Amino acid sequence: MVPTFSHDFMLFAALSATLPPFLSFAVIVVFARPYPRLSAGLSITAVSLSVVSAVLLLLFQGPEGPHSYMGTWLVSGSTRIPFGFLLDPTSLFMLIIVAVVALLVQVYSLGYMEGDPGFSRYYAFQSLFAGAMLSLSLSPSMVQLYVFWELVGLSSYLLIGFWYEKFSATEAGKKAFVMTRLGDICLFLGILLVLLNLGNLNIQDLNDPSVVGRMSPGLVTFCALLIFGGIVGKSAQFPLLTWLPDAMEGPTPVSALLHSATMVAAGAFLFARLFPFMSQSPAAMTVFLTIGTVTMVLAATMAVVDRDIKKVWAYSTVSQLGFIIMGLGAGSYFAGIFHLSTHAAFKALLFLCSGVWIHYYETNDMFQIAARGGRQFKIPMIGMLLAAASLSGVPPLSGFFSKETILDALAKCHNPLWLTAGLVGAFFTPYYAFRAVFSILFPRKIEDVRSADKQHLSPSTAANQQHEGTYWVMAVPLLILACIVVGLGFFKTSLEDFLVGGPTTSVGGPIPQRQHEWLFYVSMLFVLCGLGLAWFEFGRRDASRIGIFEKIAPLKALFANRWYLDDFYRLLLKVVVYRTFANLTIRNDHQVIDGGIDAFCRVTVDAGRVLSRLQSGLVRHNVLLVFMVLALLALWFYFL
Amino acid sequence: MIVPYSHVLILAAVIFFLGLVCVIARRNLIMTLIGIEVMMNGAAIAFIASGLRWHQLEGQAFVLFIIGVAAVEVSVGLAIIIGAYRRSGSADADTYNSLKW
Repeated sequence: MVPTFSHDFMLFAALSATLPPFLSFAVIVVFARPYPRLSAGLSITAVSLSVVSAVLLLLFQGPEGPHSYMGTWLVSGSTRIPFGFLLDPTSLFMLIIVAVVALLVQVYSLGYMEGDPGFSRYYAFQSLFAGAMLSLSLSPSMVQLYVFWELVGLSSYLLIGFWYEKFSATEAGKKAFVMTRLGDICLFLGILLVLLNLGNLNIQDLNDPSVVGRMSPGLVTFCALLIFGGIVGKSAQFPLLTWLPDAMEGPTPVSALLHSATMVAAGAFLFARLFPFMSQSPAAMTVFLTIGTVTMVLAATMAVVDRDIKKVWAYSTVSQLGFIIMGLGAGSYFAGIFHLSTHAAFKALLFLCSGVWIHYYETNDMFQIAARGGRQFKIPMIGMLLAAASLSGVPPLSGFFSKETILDALAKCHNPLWLTAGLVGAFFTPYYAFRAVFSILFPRKIEDVRSADKQHLSPSTAANQQHEGTYWVMAVPLLILACIVVGLGFFKTSLEDFLVGGPTTSVGGPIPQRQHEWLFYVSMLFVLCGLGLAWFEFGRRDASRIGIFEKIAPLKALFANRWYLDDFYRLLLKVVVYRTFANLTIRNDHQVIDGGIDAFCRVTVDAGRVLSRLQSGLVRHNVLLVFMVLALLALWFYFL
Repeated sequence: MIVPYSHVLILAAVIFFLGLVCVIARRNLIMTLIGIEVMMNGAAIAFIASGLRWHQLEGQAFVLFIIGVAAVEVSVGLAIIIGAYRRSGSADADTYNSLKW
């Protein structure tokens, strides 16, 4: 292809990948709100355009290395802030994940959100969300990335609180917004610090070791930690992880999008994006590894006791994100990004499958779903089985490959603690995933619902044509995702070539293929233990349906209350914010500001009162004063 | 000039201060008015003496104006005093203190 043509073409494709969702958002908000079908059509068309452009970009990504197109946006002194696109393997890979998942979720939502009064609004927000995330993945500078980062945060706030008439939904939206904002403050400070020290925020420059070498190692560590603060908030890492389970208040497709490709993936993506910069500081990398590990284990334990199926998947997301951060923190760029992509596929599938039951049964409780005959829905059942197996790392599925990659990276660390933690995670993950699957697949007894009711709920009855249409709208994305989940793992080598091989070796460098043979067997052992325990407690014919962790009351309380993290925050809020800061500001307000104004007024009044003594109201005194002054003036002029 | 100029000025000053003391010390409004007249006359004497001293006619001319102004002032002042007396029932200047805080 002729290079000039190719460049124009690439720029055009990048524009058509990012702009249409924003346009569709604007058009829906301004014109199309009264027409739900038109809104949905617009939104889906826009995101389809993005998918097509992303595929084209991926196909025509030449061998000549990363393209970047930058126009100047702001100039202040010697600082130039560019705006444009950076097209390299990382961003293109993320772009296509986001576009595909967003498209599938939007198609699925046609069924899930059918008849919702806010249908147009829902699609407007979905467009905004997709547009923000697509643009984020193509951002060439930290400033532009930060702008879209915040837009992603905003649109997830809007979607989590989508059913705003529910108080818990608005609360959850607020919590998500505020908690991620805490991290974003760190990120912003980090960006400013980098800007002050390097005078440049281009991602390509940041990732250049010779540029970063201008900063002292301590400063690099500090900057990396500050930027990681933003990742902690966005990707729900410890200690800011409690907003994500609460975000389940939104519609299920939103959870699917939020948990797989967009909101929480943005954090891990930022880490991958700045991976060479972050890995300049070994101290910071150890912190990342620690936080990832803590998050992974904590969230996995929370997932083993919850009965709300969406919450189980939410904890699982937190846990898997921790696992991704572990992989990146262990120094393996490819392991992190590969698990990010497989996780996006199987987590989206898990949520969308659960969404089918939630849509038909209107309950989130997995035992309720089981009791009402959840397994009649064949496609979601198979999809969930596949996704859960992939999540657990069962061999032929994609999750197995990415998990092995991360475990392999962990095994290369000198400290065996990380690998142990990873293996503990490998035990918990199949346990909680198959706890949910077995509960629904092998219900203890199907509730004695009347057959007519069952007929109504069953998707395969011809009597309910409209419902069946809805069902298929929801089922097709499930099938596509299931194919991705099954197939993605087999492209590991080519993906690795694409992402870390080739001309962009500066991003990470290829991992030496030093497979630990024993690792495979050990991790399989842990997975099988988890699976077996889940089968023993939930799967077999006369299983107790009460997990071992639910039997031990203190453990159950600890896990169900999220290790008392929320209570801790509430206490912290009470002690630090309400008692200390609020008290101080109240006292400042009452005593310093109000008191100051009062004192000023009192002094003025008192001074007036003192001066008013001069005013006796007697004409004689005034006359005397006038003459005294005149006499003094006369003396003054006489002697001067 | 038989009488020295300075003596006349001292006389004028004495009369002026007598009038001033009358204005300040007396409480009756009419006495205040009389005090002002006395002060004006003191000033008039100083003008006459200065006119004689420098052989200028303007000094005496000013005195005519002063006498005219004094006459006008007495008539207007008395009218105000009568008005004030009717309103407050007293010609005592110290009772007019309603503007005091």
